Amino acid sequence: MSEPVDLDAIQAELRERVRRKREAGVYGADLAAALAHPLPGGGPIAADIEGDPVASLAAAVESEVAYDPRSRKGALAPLITVARRTVIWLIRWYVHEIVARQDRVNAAALRALRVLAEREPVDLVARVSALERAAAREAVHENAVHLDYELFAERFGGLESQVRAQAGQFLTRFAGATRVLDIGSGRGTFLALAKENGIGAYGVDLDERLVARCAAAGLEAYRIDAEEHLRSLPDGALDGIFAVHFAEHVLPGRLLEILHECKRVLRPGAWCVMATPNPSTLTVGAHTFWLDPTHRKPLPPEAFRFYLQVSGFEPVEVETYNPSEDRLAEDGLAGAALENARLLNRTLFGDRDYAVIGRKPLA
Amino acid sequence: MTGAIHQFHPVLAAHDATSDHLFAIRDLARSWGRPAEAFAIEAKPEVAAEVLPYRRLFRMLTADDQLLMHFGLGNDAYDRLATVEAKLALVYHNITPPEFFDGLNPHAALHARKGRAQLRRLAKRVPLAIGVSEYNRRELEAAGFARTAVVPILVDWRRYDVAPDERVLARWRGPATTILFVGRIAPNKRQDELIRLLAYVRRVVDPAARLLLVGGYRDQPQYRARLRALVAELDLGAAVHFTGGVSDAELVACYAVADVFVSLSEHEGFGMPILEAFRFGVPVVARAAGAVAETAGGAAILLDGKDLAVAGEAVGLLRERASLREALVAAGTARVVDFSRERVAARLREVLLP
Repeated sequence: MSEPVDLDAIQAELRERVRRKREAGVYGADLAAALAHPLPGGGPIAADIEGDPVASLAAAVESEVAYDPRSRKGALAPLITVARRTVIWLIRWYVHEIVARQDRVNAAALRALRVLAEREPVDLVARVSALERAAAREAVHENAVHLDYELFAERFGGLESQVRAQAGQFLTRFAGATRVLDIGSGRGTFLALAKENGIGAYGVDLDERLVARCAAAGLEAYRIDAEEHLRSLPDGALDGIFAVHFAEHVLPGRLLEILHECKRVLRPGAWCVMATPNPSTLTVGAHTFWLDPTHRKPLPPEAFRFYLQVSGFEPVEVETYNPSEDRLAEDGLAGAALENARLLNRTLFGDRDYAVIGRKPLA
Repeated sequence: MTGAIHQFHPVLAAHDATSDHLFAIRDLARSWGRPAEAFAIEAKPEVAAEVLPYRRLFRMLTADDQLLMHFGLGNDAYDRLATVEAKLALVYHNITPPEFFDGLNPHAALHARKGRAQLRRLAKRVPLAIGVSEYNRRELEAAGFARTAVVPILVDWRRYDVAPDERVLARWRGPATTILFVGRIAPNKRQDELIRLLAYVRRVVDPAARLLLVGGYRDQPQYRARLRALVAELDLGAAVHFTGGVSDAELVACYAVADVFVSLSEHEGFGMPILEAFRFGVPVVARAAGAVAETAGGAAILLDGKDLAVAGEAVGLLRERASLREALVAAGTARVVDFSRERVAARLREVLLP
């Protein structure tokens, strides 16, 4: 048994031999001419037509067409030849119309290709790729994608006990409900509370780790985009929607689309509760709101209420909560000084969050 | 399940790859205990006794029977057969792309175009299509067939167990390098490139080198006339020999005298002569076109560019390096086993009788 053949090595060796012989001038012009010698007796065969396709098209459009009607079939040949010539003569006008149109099509196609060929090259693929890369980079920068969000949430997200107490105040709206959706369910604080209170609730969140954490705690949560999920639900499928610190993460137009879907998928009489930082407290609007790089735009309570109203919720209530810890002292003040201190406290040190609470009308 | 396995091809003849394949499948089906007949519109005299007229199929076939339609060129009969109540399958022998015939042979170009259009039409009615190579199978898939499979050509290797023709041996035996190509004279097979290659080999490798072109040329008279003119213009005269169609004994003799088998074909649906060269221990140099690389299975020197100098150097290298020649011949001999009757028969059975 011989050695297996290394075909790649053989091919490389062959190319090397040809290169050496070319360099040494072994071939000479006459051999090169022989290797490229055209097939006599007509045009090149299809497989050999290479090079500029526009030029080949021009050559094809301009080439002469010949058909020899003479038959070579023995004694019958003259008869067949006459028959062929007769048929060709009879259909000449019919064929002429078709050929004339084809000529126009060919000439127009050739002109169009020449125009296209002379245009400045626009490398659309390269330009689109550059834009895509720029957009991706922009998104990374804008959302601080490489920030350790888990660590960030731990440092700035507030105490679990506090978050729990804040969520708890809205539970009465969902008493007896069996299918409440928590948009942006996060660590599952609301889901756990609902479960403890006999309310059927499930969550959606984009963070895989948080969804896994909920599942591990026996809570129902899915990793899916909230809007996509809402669109997949039939009318009246839910009997409550809860979304804390979600609205400030989406752009206003998208929020309106989501609210429209919320109204559609709620059963009549059910509540939609959405909470967000309260920018009318200036220490929030000017400072703490901006701690989170993924926040889009502060949403004043009047605007959010209006969004719910135009989305078809009625009535819509606004409840503020989570008071500031620092306040101007009002003790011992009276008259104008007290009024001023109160105004400053409301404006600077008011409640840090608020919720809009809208009901889908019964009819 | 005991239905018949019948087969159809418009024309059946002796010494024709499709016909040979069809008869080999027929014998195999009979060995499975199935009734099996060959049907054709036209049977050449040498095989007429073994072929039934295709119109009988419309009366004979029942829902239990299988009909294998061998397809290599368009024909209206396929559309009619596609309506019969039977399990239909297509065996695809590939259709040469019409571009190869444009400006050279309008008849062949017309039939190739019609054939490719018909293939797409048949895809809607015929549930199973078998390609003789993976290359062919991919074309079937692209044509739209729901179920496709690869079963190589079923070769009746006993056909080659004949004594080589003495006259051919006497004429071509000798020290001069003999380059062999076997295949119909056809523009896609690029015999013109082989003639140019011979010019290179005679200049650089062996001034006495010769080219044996084995294959019928009845279908492509225009191309053959131009090949002859090329031979004359390159002053190759008697160094190029067109044998025309040959008998088995003559074919065996051609392989016996060949030093190297070279294929510069640009379209091969399977490449049976490559396997024949392996069978006869002739080293193979081949352009990797169509199914060639797949059929050669690493036992041939493959060419991936169009540079004839590289092909010429391959002929030279095989001439001077015995170890390479021996290694290729050994690899070729091993490759032939993959296409043994037993292996292909088992594969065919899997596909036809799942």
